[in-house]
Amino acid sequence: MDTTLNTSSVITLTTSSDAKQISLLSEALHALCLYATGNEKCALDVQSAVVEALNNVVIHAYHNQPDHEITVCWSQQDQRLRIDIIDSGTSIASLPEPVLPDFEAEGSRGWWIINACVDEYFYQVVENVDRERTLRPGEKNENIAFAFPKSHTNTLTFIKQF
Amino acid sequence: MVISEQKHDDIDIVALTGRFVMADSPDVRERLKTLIDAGDGKLVIDMEKVSFIDSSACAVLISAFKGMQLKSGRLILVTSPVVQSLIELTRLHTIFEILPTLPAALGAFDIN
Repeated sequence: MDTTLNTSSVITLTTSSDAKQISLLSEALHALCLYATGNEKCALDVQSAVVEALNNVVIHAYHNQPDHEITVCWSQQDQRLRIDIIDSGTSIASLPEPVLPDFEAEGSRGWWIINACVDEYFYQVVENVDRERTLRPGEKNENIAFAFPKSHTNTLTFIKQF
Repeated sequence: MVISEQKHDDIDIVALTGRFVMADSPDVRERLKTLIDAGDGKLVIDMEKVSFIDSSACAVLISAFKGMQLKSGRLILVTSPVVQSLIELTRLHTIFEILPTLPAALGAFDIN
C-alpha cells in the first residue's frame, strides 16, 4: 500500500484490488479518522462504510481480479471528513437502494451499512478520452489513423460529520 | 483471522479472533459447514475476540444458521461489542440467539 500527503492535506492511499489488502487500508483509514475526530464510533462507522465499498469494488468493479488499482483519498475540513474511493473498473449504472433483504438472503447488506454509517454519499463516473494520432510506416498523411482509447474513473464519495 | 475449534461434551465451539471480513469468509464458511455436517446439532460461534466484521461475515453467519436449521440444531453466537453493533445494525439480532460470554452460551445448552 502506498501513502502520500499532499499540500492540501489530502492523504492518498493506493492498494491493489486484492481482498486481502482491504483490512490494511481500512485499518489505516480508521486510525486517520480516530486521530482527526477522537471519536471511536465515528472512526468505526467510516471503516464499516469503506470496507463495504471496497468489497464492492473488488467483486463488482474488478470481478475478483486482484491486480487492479484502488485509490482512497482522505481529507478533513472543519467537522467533516471526506473519503473518495476511486477505481477504473466496471461502473455502477445506479446506486442500489439501501434496503435490508429478507433474512434468508446472505448478501446485499452492504449499501444498508454504508447508508447507516455515513451522512452523505454520491458516485461519479468520469470518462477520459485520449486522442492518439498514429501514423503507420509508408502511409501518407491522409491515411493517418485516429485511435480513441477510452478510460474512466469511478469515484464513490463519503461525507461524515463529527 | 485465527480460527480455533474445540468440543465441550457434544457442543462444537468455533472461536474466531481478529478481523472477520471478506478475505476470511470462504475459509470460515468451509470450516463451519464441515463442523455442522459432522456435528451433533449444537454449535457456538465465539466472536468475543473479533475486532471487526463486515457484511460478508454476516453472510457466513446466516449460512451457518440455515445449516443448523436444516439439522434442527441450535446455533448460539457470542459477540464482541463491535460484532454486536453490526448485527444490530443489520437487524440480525432478531433472528440469531446471542449471548455475551462462552460460559453463558454453554450454560444455555445445559439448561435447555
